[in-house]
Amino acid sequence: MTGGEIVLEALRREGVELIFGYPGGANLPIYQHLPKYPSLRHVLVRHEQGAAHMADGYARASGRPGVVFATSGPGALNLVTGLATAFMDSVPMVAITGQVNTTLVGRDGFQESDVVGCTMPVTKHNYMVTRVEDLPRIIKEAFHVATTGRPGPVLVDVCKDVQQAVFEPVWPETVDLPGYRPTPEPDPEAVRAAAEALSTAERPVILAGHGVILSHAEQELLAIAEKTVTPTGTTLLGIGAFPVRHPLALHLTGFMGTGWNLRAVQECDLLMCVGMRVDDRVTAKLDEWAPKARTFIHVDIDPSEIGKNRRPHIAVVADAKAALRQMLPLVRPPQAGQRHPWLLQIDRWREEHPLRYTTSNGHLQPQDVLIEMYRRCRDDAIVVADVGQNQIWAALWWNYLRPGLFINSGGAGTMGFAFPAAIGAKLARPEKAVWCVAGEAGFVMTAQELSVAVEHQVDVKVVLLDNASLGMVRQFQDDFYGGVRSQVDLAAMPDFVKLADAYGLPGIRVDGTEQVAEAFDFAERTPGPVLIDFRIDPGANVYPIVPLGKGLNDFWELPDEYA
Amino acid sequence: MSTPEPSALRLRVLTAVVEDHPGVLSRVAGMIRRRGFNIQGLSVGPTDQPGRSRMTLTVDAGHAEVDQVQKQLDHLIEVIEIEDLTEVPRLNRELALVKLAVSGPRRDRAVAEVDRAGGRVVDAFPEGVIVEVSGEFDRIERFLETLRPYGIVELARSGPVAMSKHVPAPVAEVAGQRTGVSAS
Repeated sequence: MTGGEIVLEALRREGVELIFGYPGGANLPIYQHLPKYPSLRHVLVRHEQGAAHMADGYARASGRPGVVFATSGPGALNLVTGLATAFMDSVPMVAITGQVNTTLVGRDGFQESDVVGCTMPVTKHNYMVTRVEDLPRIIKEAFHVATTGRPGPVLVDVCKDVQQAVFEPVWPETVDLPGYRPTPEPDPEAVRAAAEALSTAERPVILAGHGVILSHAEQELLAIAEKTVTPTGTTLLGIGAFPVRHPLALHLTGFMGTGWNLRAVQECDLLMCVGMRVDDRVTAKLDEWAPKARTFIHVDIDPSEIGKNRRPHIAVVADAKAALRQMLPLVRPPQAGQRHPWLLQIDRWREEHPLRYTTSNGHLQPQDVLIEMYRRCRDDAIVVADVGQNQIWAALWWNYLRPGLFINSGGAGTMGFAFPAAIGAKLARPEKAVWCVAGEAGFVMTAQELSVAVEHQVDVKVVLLDNASLGMVRQFQDDFYGGVRSQVDLAAMPDFVKLADAYGLPGIRVDGTEQVAEAFDFAERTPGPVLIDFRIDPGANVYPIVPLGKGLNDFWELPDEYA
Repeated sequence: MSTPEPSALRLRVLTAVVEDHPGVLSRVAGMIRRRGFNIQGLSVGPTDQPGRSRMTLTVDAGHAEVDQVQKQLDHLIEVIEIEDLTEVPRLNRELALVKLAVSGPRRDRAVAEVDRAGGRVVDAFPEGVIVEVSGEFDRIERFLETLRPYGIVELARSGPVAMSKHVPAPVAEVAGQRTGVSAS
């Protein structure tokens, strides 16, 4: 076998069914043999960044690792943003890049870049393969590292002469990585202490992050919340980990979280964070975060997250499911009536700080669009959001009752993520309706992938919340940067209906509330990809929002004059 | 890259066994830089196991919680084990080579000074001598202070290596004799 065939055979053995990639000079010896592997479906993207986001969306929607091919130099470098996006959100991916011949490495030859060096900080691990006999082991390790413990992207850079070398592979059954201990067992003492603290707290709050979804711990989380009668919220990436219509649900926490969530976090006497990093978007001003929490419990699989931002009183370093499963039999229900004052207080906050939006200025509002969409899909569609106002609106104005139905770039905040990720999600879950919610600015960053959607008739419905500006940046300039609007108006954007037409898919434009239902009728009865350009209120803002540099208690709500 | 004793709390002395692969040093250094830590001293060398190297690092944790340095490095797949020696009884050693431009009677006085201060002349030529000294940070600093009047023309320091005085149980008997020799 050649090294190129070994790569493909190794992928087949890992159960890979889909590859997103782009051929070029340094990975041609792999592509040469691809037609011999019909079980490996390949999607030819239009830009390598698109491949990385597609693989990411595929992985988030399926739970299986996404696989990417790119050539050396610019091909591999175009993956960097996509790798960083997956890395920040703990998404399993394996990227296989071509590299120049081993004899040319370090000589600045054509299309040579130090890809291992460039991607070191944005991958969980990476490899450069300079000997063909290492290939089977390294690819096996790459999949193992990408998918175990806290998942993440792994890059394997394969020199071109290695792809061409001939070798009879020995396929390893196991991996031997003595420095890799991905899944620590929960410490029973820490679990017991956490259970005891949770059982005796007066005003407990649980926050759940992506780790709960990644470990499929939502049932255990629900059982603990119900048994201990603990109000439970989620991070942006934890959306769906706890059903948002549950009586104990606190909905979204953090910088743009719901008022009742933020009040509860600030007033709780015990806070248990499960499967989350406690980053700045969760805490806002860190030293004002959860000031009354006499007990802070942090459950996370990654020991380096424990105490990185806030030192916990009780740390459980473990997979969320393993930890919560051990905790469940140890927690006790509160005494009769003990929880009433806390739940009543949260109910009052929920009434005092409802989610509101502008309904009086005659413009089409993004919430009008999302509410109509939700009325039709209920909780059975996958929503893939981009970054910016559209992301927060899609998070807040939808009822996510189960995990895996809301996909977005929470950690890296990568504009242009949503559309290619939605293509990947739809290819992973063809039975699900997949809606891409994006602003027009983020959409055009990766809009060339419309070709992929058309070529493969990937049934993604694109909902553009088009305010002809960089909405979130404009909102920040208005509110936090002295009202100086600088470089936020998108004066010359394409006519998106014509753009869709040029790519070969139907597109329609919606200017007013009365056309919304009709537009969704059209999208739902049209098979294949559809683009709807909703021309929304250019002044629409995201509320609630915590002003920059402030604590969670200082959140702003929709001003009454805009209601 | 002289290494002061880790008296300030933010300085950590770490010893790590790592896989001897190309790029491991870059990975370790990159992690330390990216997390806002600063390397004050570093030495790398082989262990008695093939394919494994030992790194001794003195790291300024900056504004981070001090144990973050260890946790972040432990995160690296090629770091097999890592120990924070800051708070444990340990030995620190560093080697310094010093070139002195001395001749005639100055040279004799310098050599006598080196002897008194516990160093050793390792090479000599008509225009000068090269001397070596090893020991803890403070000792090397004092040694250099003594020689400075003679004109140090070149100085090379190895960076520190460190080892905990803890002896794992299975080899306690053998190691017990060695502890007796080296304790001072």
